[in-house]
Amino acid sequence: MGDAPLVMSGATKRFGAFTAVDRLSFEVPAGQIVGFLGPNGAGKSTSLRMALGVMAPDEGEVSLFGARPDIRNLRRVGFLPEERGLYKKMTARDTITYFARLKGMSAGEAKARANELLETAGLGKFKASRISKLSKGMAQKVQILSTLAHRPDFLILDEPFSGLDPMNQQTLEDLIRAEHQRGATILFSTHVMEHAERLCDRIVMLARGRKVFDGTLDAAYATLGQGARMAVEHGFDLAAALAPKGFEAHRAADKGPGDSWRVDLPRGLGAQDVLRAALEAGAPVLGFQPEEARLRDVFVALVGEAEAATLDVPTPAEVVEAA
Amino acid sequence: MHNIYLIFRRDFLGYVKAWGFWLSLAAVPIFLVIGAGFGYFAASSSPVRYYAVIEPSGAISEAIDAEFRRSEERVIEDAMEIAGGMDANMSEMQAAATAPRKFIEVDAPADSIEALRPYLLGEKLVAGPDGDKPLFAVFLLTEDGSALQYWSTDVNVSALRYAAETAMRDLGRRDALIAAGLSADFLKKVDEAIVPVTAFRLRSEAEPETGGSEVTMADKAPAMVAGALAYFLWLMVFSIIQYLLMGTIEERSNKIFDTLLTSVTLPELLAGKLLAVFAVTSTMMLSWGLFAGAGSAIAASQSPELMEMIDPFIAAVTNPGLIIPALISFILGYVLYGAIFMALGSLCDTIQEAQTLLSPMMILLMLPMFAIFVAFQDPGSPVIDYASWVPLFTPFLLILRIPQDPPLWEILAQMALMAMTTALIVWGATKVYRAGAVHGAGIGDLVGMVKSAMGMKPKAS
Repeated sequence: MGDAPLVMSGATKRFGAFTAVDRLSFEVPAGQIVGFLGPNGAGKSTSLRMALGVMAPDEGEVSLFGARPDIRNLRRVGFLPEERGLYKKMTARDTITYFARLKGMSAGEAKARANELLETAGLGKFKASRISKLSKGMAQKVQILSTLAHRPDFLILDEPFSGLDPMNQQTLEDLIRAEHQRGATILFSTHVMEHAERLCDRIVMLARGRKVFDGTLDAAYATLGQGARMAVEHGFDLAAALAPKGFEAHRAADKGPGDSWRVDLPRGLGAQDVLRAALEAGAPVLGFQPEEARLRDVFVALVGEAEAATLDVPTPAEVVEAA
Repeated sequence: MHNIYLIFRRDFLGYVKAWGFWLSLAAVPIFLVIGAGFGYFAASSSPVRYYAVIEPSGAISEAIDAEFRRSEERVIEDAMEIAGGMDANMSEMQAAATAPRKFIEVDAPADSIEALRPYLLGEKLVAGPDGDKPLFAVFLLTEDGSALQYWSTDVNVSALRYAAETAMRDLGRRDALIAAGLSADFLKKVDEAIVPVTAFRLRSEAEPETGGSEVTMADKAPAMVAGALAYFLWLMVFSIIQYLLMGTIEERSNKIFDTLLTSVTLPELLAGKLLAVFAVTSTMMLSWGLFAGAGSAIAASQSPELMEMIDPFIAAVTNPGLIIPALISFILGYVLYGAIFMALGSLCDTIQEAQTLLSPMMILLMLPMFAIFVAFQDPGSPVIDYASWVPLFTPFLLILRIPQDPPLWEILAQMALMAMTTALIVWGATKVYRAGAVHGAGIGDLVGMVKSAMGMKPKAS
């Protein structure tokens, strides 16, 4: 094993008869942002806890910077757990200072760093406020800052966007990019594919404890053919109309005028071919958009519709609203 | 060590910054002062009460007075025994121990209850050494001499009636003996011929005989100090329950363990937490001890005799033969019970859930308390010898046995057993703590964990 921030080799974790993680192998290369994707219950948090040495794998190996996870190499790691929690009676500054000191910073350095981070995050006025007096969003920010305070080489973020409003989600995305620019390697788990699409160099997809994909975003998209979205007047059966011409159409849940359909493009055909075929079949077309593959579609193709239904995918309207 | 210190520091400051800590710290001295002040005030403010005895011979009156004198002498004797071996000024001790009498006999202003009614009801006053006052009580011997009636408007104050009952018993015995032909002088000789029982202690050659063989406070102080230490340990264990339970529940509900365990090891976390709670309770008890010490020092500066009384206790506390085994027992006992409570706390999600655990814990803790009581009564009891081999009792009972000079091999064997049990409990508690704090196991999973630890497969659900 090299000195990659994280290498998991055949890691398996069972709870009684239930196998939460099944022979999981992947690597997080230095300097990359890696998304760890999967629906709720896929085994993401368990895998991350094994990566951190909080749980030992029943089988397989975990290597952190080339060695088994221990307190020494964990000092190079910043971890944001999925279930957030801080000492409610501590102040924001003391909280960040405390966790930074546990990671090996000196008292003076940790305190200065806490002040700096709080000022940068716009929480300077709340340095001396107890966590219990902060809003939920502010407390989450303090926890994220605690994760970054000791300038870790490797950030492991478990569902970092959950519970954050769109504004704070954007702030966190910026923060992740800034940490990446600083030189940190980042692994974050999420079940919201859009964050991964915007941030990741590569992704690891997990379903029912098993890895279903590991590679770059382009490689993920390449697993699917192209498609198109088409809106037709209510009641028109686009699938029946296009089937004789060799196209497969599926109803989509997109909001907008008329009924929305997604049409798969057979290899070698372009978006204009399907539009032409629809018009020739007499379809009352209200809207048309060539569509690039999305991670969700990749996931559906890899694990099936039922599994993918548990993914949290916002509608186009929600995406617009969030932006 | 640095991580243990950081965990310790955070937890300790978290506890001492809470209002509850300062309230607890202040409560004991405040209540002690209030209690002592109240007791002193109650004693000093108790009024002098007049009573009268209506009987022809004056013998009953004399017998009651004699009973009061005997009570006063007993108080002085007790004070002398406590100050045994001290080079104290006896007349000063006597004066200090004798409080002014609260019941004083006066001449009866009338000889029937009807006539005395206004005096008893306070409508009329009688003259006496403490000024004019109403009559508090009247003793009236019936005409046939078969009963002594006690009349008063306040039957709740019974000290005077009890004194009269004792006096009448003595008087009756004396009258019966005289009636049997024995003279009063003979009875006096009998009283004087009673041989006093004086306690002596056979000392080993190694022991100093500064006070001779007579039993002094120096002989009693080690047992008293050992008892205080055992009780102190019990009190400390009792007080840590809520700190360890509530503290662990807070962290479990705050979901903070994963973050902590990526920075410190589990043993470091447990050690830091146990040390913090130990420091909190020690701070509290040391503060109370300092308060008591300061009070004693102030009192001793006013009275050299009191200083002499404290000396044997200081000597006992600084005796390595007592204090080293006591300290080892103390530390192992604290760690043993602390680990149990912390492990159980890690399995609770709510305070309500923890409260259901408090009852069995209290019962668990009452057992050593009962053993401490038995040991106080009879430290050499075989029951205590046997019970001191039970590791859960050993920390308390070994401390109590030390002043009895048990065989050295027993002390060493019990310490070894205690150390092994503590190590085993800490090992098990770490497992339970990890299961509860890290994996979210609850109380219901405890049985499965025990089976798993014992290598038994839990039933498939």
